[in-house]
Amino acid sequence: MQDLESEIRALIAEIIERSPAEITPDANFFTDLGVDSMMALEILTAVEKKYKIQIPEEKLAQFTTLKQTVIVAGEYLAAKPQNA
Amino acid sequence: MDKKRVVITGIGVLAANAIGKNAFWEAILNGVSGIKPVSLFDTTGFKVKRAGEIKDFSGQAFLGDKGLRTLDRSTKLIASAAKLALDDAHLEINEENTRQIGVAIGATFGSIKSICDFDMDGLKDGVRYVNPALFPNTVINSPASEVSIKFKIRGFNATVSTGFCAGLDAVNYARDFVRFGRANAVLAGGVEELCEEIFLGFYKTKFLDELDEPGGNFLGEAGAIVILEDLESALARQADILAEVAGFGTNFDQASGLKRAMRLALDDAGLKKNDINGFFSSSAIKSMVGECFSASGALQVAAAVGAIQKQPLKINRLMVNCSGPNGNNSSMIISKYS
Repeated sequence: MQDLESEIRALIAEIIERSPAEITPDANFFTDLGVDSMMALEILTAVEKKYKIQIPEEKLAQFTTLKQTVIVAGEYLAAKPQNA
Repeated sequence: MDKKRVVITGIGVLAANAIGKNAFWEAILNGVSGIKPVSLFDTTGFKVKRAGEIKDFSGQAFLGDKGLRTLDRSTKLIASAAKLALDDAHLEINEENTRQIGVAIGATFGSIKSICDFDMDGLKDGVRYVNPALFPNTVINSPASEVSIKFKIRGFNATVSTGFCAGLDAVNYARDFVRFGRANAVLAGGVEELCEEIFLGFYKTKFLDELDEPGGNFLGEAGAIVILEDLESALARQADILAEVAGFGTNFDQASGLKRAMRLALDDAGLKKNDINGFFSSSAIKSMVGECFSASGALQVAAAVGAIQKQPLKINRLMVNCSGPNGNNSSMIISKYS
């Protein structure tokens, strides 16, 4: 989980053009980090692409913090077939 | 209705032979070539290996480090030209004047690379994993829109897509807004980027000849913007007036179109042919920076203003001409302000 958090933090840092250190687990993407709706979609797509998973778009509403994003990604990663 | 006089108060240029107004004027007046080996893509397989590339361009020097990540080269070129032009004109955009300022940009081929990249990502990784933030680059009005967004300009925003004439047509579109009182100032110009996809297209259609040496027919890239203002507004803010846009003519006629466009421009300016003492043609610019299509007309306007300002040949009224093989022709008269 620690590796997953660190990888997703790096992805988000690149998209929102901030240092990874600013993306604390509970920092709110929208109110604390200036994420807009397009960036949120980019984060969702970047996570899906990196782990070759498909996260339903209704889950986007849960992408509000690093912690929440890691939980959702972890859930779909765990459900991913091993040979997929 | 009294038409307002339209003057040029600022210039921003990024071209293969120079960046910035003064450097561009010096380069053009001294015939400095920007044609060089292409570094943006691999030219193995092409007989032509050079082009008018703006080397090491990233946009950061003009636009800062942030907010550029998903913008394509065309958008960064024209936004950088806008920054240079606004600085040159000392035109500050604020809450009070922003709705009276517009943007008119000529762009034709600029989105081809973005469309190809977007499609390629979908083919390689699957449509599910295409980055949604790259989609806006695939539409032709993206560069003009980004100029308005980046500089918080809330007046009209237009993209003119008329190929070889687009830059000149965009300047005229802007001129109409100003002279009929619908805008006080407009950032007007054109942009094209160099990329493998456009290079391949013009190589395969034999637009590029295979003479990879001076005198050959090279592609180029550029972002060029002039700031147009009505004379009253320019004088009120004590702007440095560089030149005046005196006339314009255009048509679509392969047979005798350019001649007719020139005649229309003279009529529009109320001038006779003997009143013109200088010409800029697209081929003159092309020989130094490569064929820049939609940026060519705006580059020529910028160069014409330089000829008037620097006065190497005691010129005070020039005609700028653009002509495309499909039949598009446009002419504009640039005069010394007096």
